[in-house]
Amino acid sequence: MKMTPALLIIGGLLVFWSAVYVSVILPWETMPDDKSAAWMKWTPDEAAGHDLYIRNGCSYCHSQFVRAVDWADAGAGRLAERGDYYEQEPAILGTERVGPDLSQEGGEHSDDWQRAHFINPRNTRPMSLMPSWEFLGDEKIRQLTAYVRSLGGKTAAYRVARQDKWHAAATAAWKLGVDKNVDWLHEQVPAVWRPMPNPYPATEAALQRGEKTYQTFCIGCHGPMGDGQGPAMHYLEPPPLNFTVLRRHLVDGKYIGGIFYYQVMNGITGTGMPYFKRELESEKIWDVSNYIEVRFLGYTDATLSPQGIPAAYEPAWENTFKPPSATGESK
Amino acid sequence: MLKFASKPQSAALAFLVAGSAWFLIGTLYGLVAALHLMAPELYNNISWLNFGRMRPIHVNTVLFGFVATTLVGCAIYYVPALLRTRLWSERLGWFSWLCWNAAVLSGPTVFPFGLQQNREYTEYLYPFKVLIMLAILTLIVNLTLTIAGRKEKTLYVSVWYAVGALIWTAGVYPIGNVMWRPQTQALPGLVDSILLWFYGHNMVGLLLTPLAIGIAYFVLPRVTRAPLYSHRLSLVGFWALVATYTQIGGHHILQAPIPNWLRTVTVVGSIMMILPVFVVLANLWLTTRGRGMKLWGDPAGRFVLAGTMWYLLVCLQGPLQSLPSVQAVTHFTNWVIGHSHIAVLGFAGFIALGGMWHMLPLVCGRKLYSARLVNLQFGLLLFGLVGFFAVLTTAGLIQGHAWATGETVYVVLPSLNVYMALRAMLGLFIIAGAAVGLYNVVMTLRHGEPLEPAALEAEPLDAARAGEVSP
Ligand code: HEC
Ligand code: HEC
Ligand code: HEM
Ligand code: HEM
Repeated sequence: MKMTPALLIIGGLLVFWSAVYVSVILPWETMPDDKSAAWMKWTPDEAAGHDLYIRNGCSYCHSQFVRAVDWADAGAGRLAERGDYYEQEPAILGTERVGPDLSQEGGEHSDDWQRAHFINPRNTRPMSLMPSWEFLGDEKIRQLTAYVRSLGGKTAAYRVARQDKWHAAATAAWKLGVDKNVDWLHEQVPAVWRPMPNPYPATEAALQRGEKTYQTFCIGCHGPMGDGQGPAMHYLEPPPLNFTVLRRHLVDGKYIGGIFYYQVMNGITGTGMPYFKRELESEKIWDVSNYIEVRFLGYTDATLSPQGIPAAYEPAWENTFKPPSATGESK
Repeated sequence: MLKFASKPQSAALAFLVAGSAWFLIGTLYGLVAALHLMAPELYNNISWLNFGRMRPIHVNTVLFGFVATTLVGCAIYYVPALLRTRLWSERLGWFSWLCWNAAVLSGPTVFPFGLQQNREYTEYLYPFKVLIMLAILTLIVNLTLTIAGRKEKTLYVSVWYAVGALIWTAGVYPIGNVMWRPQTQALPGLVDSILLWFYGHNMVGLLLTPLAIGIAYFVLPRVTRAPLYSHRLSLVGFWALVATYTQIGGHHILQAPIPNWLRTVTVVGSIMMILPVFVVLANLWLTTRGRGMKLWGDPAGRFVLAGTMWYLLVCLQGPLQSLPSVQAVTHFTNWVIGHSHIAVLGFAGFIALGGMWHMLPLVCGRKLYSARLVNLQFGLLLFGLVGFFAVLTTAGLIQGHAWATGETVYVVLPSLNVYMALRAMLGLFIIAGAAVGLYNVVMTLRHGEPLEPAALEAEPLDAARAGEVSP
């Protein structure tokens, strides 16, 4: 075969355009253009937020589809469907996850968490690689937050409504004052969890592990002293809990471990306090609870009774801490 | 007026010089992005240094600015040279240059304001997309009329690739940018991703790849003074490339809810890509067989040789990472960023540089200012890039395996820090390589010793064309 200009150009175009037919036109023609059950129309604010998402290149770090292999991050379990992207123009699926997938982000966090996070992600996520968006100004951050609330369509709307409901309740409790707020918080924890001690010994090694977890996850809100004065406090309502006040709120004068575990695992929906059950497995939660108890309450209920058979690896350790008095003074 | 613009080969020269400048600028923006991922508080909350705005500047500037510009510069030199004629119109070539570089310039000047399209590789704003189309179309006109006025009857294989690259890109570009919808330059719904990744994939596959292969076919036989091994293999490689490469854009969105038949086509096609790749590599390497030292000893030849080796590596990695079971781990991670860098810099970039160092003397009529600086650049780039590949692949596997065992993205971030730091550091070598290259180009133009006119004309092309007569 000899290559002539005609063969080159006409042949080249023929092969190319038949490939276009198979890879572009055929899927375009045959893919149904329909809504999924979860699809919802954007409000003008949400559309404006999507526009900001596009123009600021959020998609270089965030994908917007959940795959069968995804496991730990938000939305795992609900596979992306074609109809989720109905009318979105452009729907940016993304090719990289520097940060987590956002397709089901709506209702994962309270709005004040989102605002604190957009202003500086290190506020709420100390190790984050996301840039700050404070320069966008309040109005645009509000639009971005509206957009993020919408991610996940109707599945998200359900979560968002839950956030809003509990946000109202938590804010009302917070307005009653520090102690009434703690009482309210503890009333929400199921009764079986309340009189429960931390089952793990608070050894030096355990406290160090707890400290590492605290610094990676909690410090931006609860602060280095555990007094709730982390940088995120300016943006959160109710503000991050000051752990030191818990000295006067021990259950039966001695227990707090069970409440810590429950709150950290589950988060306090409606407030900035996120759930951590996907990131922290049980030992890490008990360790960080011990850390908070020892460092900020000056007391731990670790290994108090009721206690079952100690775990095989536990070293010999004796709890010498004395519970503080009901007014919060150390005995 | 504008006399410089009708000087023979001045358009090709303009492309080569611009490419070298974009190389330095584009990699500097890569450093800005890399430093953010290493230390996000370093220049936090500064809108015009924000990662989401810097990354597309980096990607578009290196891709369209450095690699594609240099490749086109080489092509508009070698096409007329192989056909023993002149470019049909130097002025039109300059017009293409102007449109093309204005579009590339819009990256650093427009994106920092938060004005961009955000579909990967289609970020330029609409008017600049029109300029790119204009550049492509005028280049097609220019090359077609050059071919029409040729004095040499046979079309050498490099010419096929140059023409192919342009006529295919003239189709790929408007499809991928949905240019018939100027408001959003996108289609509504999921189907947009299919167009986007048809485009994203073919931007490297039908623009960079054929232009780079065209240069390899030109430089390797000339440097080794060997006839092309086989005309038949050239044909197979050429037609197989356009027939296969076009089908596999879907492997970028393999895990998204696209139709199953498309997934199958894509994965099968990706594996079939081994055919065009190996046919071309076999043809090139058999051509240079027994003359490896000669190739290695030539600074430009060394670049092209290394580029073909990167091509092999890229195209072994590519089919591997199109397999669903592999992608379950590698997709979304830095592994893919590693692939991009060895592909675009290692394969297309190395060959573009080899082509430039080989052709620059022929284009400007001066000897290279310094062959040692070319070798220095080679060393710097090779070190930086091998490091990039190792570091990013490692980081990608750490991410992928941690996610696959149920860790969240956030939990894995601290383990990546050291790799992000290493990547930024290794980037300095690549940037140094770009700076050395630009310096060498400028010094060649200003102080290079003039070449004998005879060396410019007859001698250089015979070796390459000798291949036409073998099987
Ligand atoms: C440099 C990459 C990067 C860019 C750009 C980026 N993000 Fe992020 N994002 C991250 C990382 C990393 C995380 C995980 C840590 C954290 O929560 O901060 C994250 C987390 C998030 C979360 C919280 C997810 C969760 O539930 O934990 C939201 C919401 C978010 N990003 C939205 C955005 C939006 C909107 C933009 C664009 C305006 C954006 N991001 C741009 C990296 C990025
Ligand atoms: C984004 C901010 C934020 C982060 C990060 C955060 N918290 Fe909180 N946390 C809060 C807020 C706000 C409250 C209180 C809500 C209220 O008062 O209604 C709270 C409450 C709590 C409580 C409830 C105490 C009780 O007695 O009911 C515990 C325990 C707690 N946080 C532990 C942690 C731990 C451990 C971490 C890290 C693993 C952490 N928090 C991270 C904001 C945060
Ligand atoms: C000419 C040389 C280079 C070329 C051709 C090149 C090409 C590319 C391409 C194509 C991408 C997009 C990858 C993808 O989306 O999959 C990219 C991303 C990137 N490059 Fe480069 N690059 C070069 C040099 C550099 C240098 C020197 C640095 C750093 C100092 C760098 C840092 C980055 C970073 C940080 C990203 C973004 C990665 C991410 O989002 O995680 N690049 N580059
Ligand atoms: C045999 C040939 C090749 C195959 C089968 C192949 C396959 C792939 C696959 C499957 C991906 C997507 C990975 C993922 O997102 O999980 C990818 C990405 C990429 N490839 Fe290749 N590749 C090949 C050759 C090349 C060549 C020659 C180049 C460049 C000249 C190249 C440049 C890129 C770039 C830049 C990306 C990143 C796209 C992005 O996400 O931004 N590839 N390739």
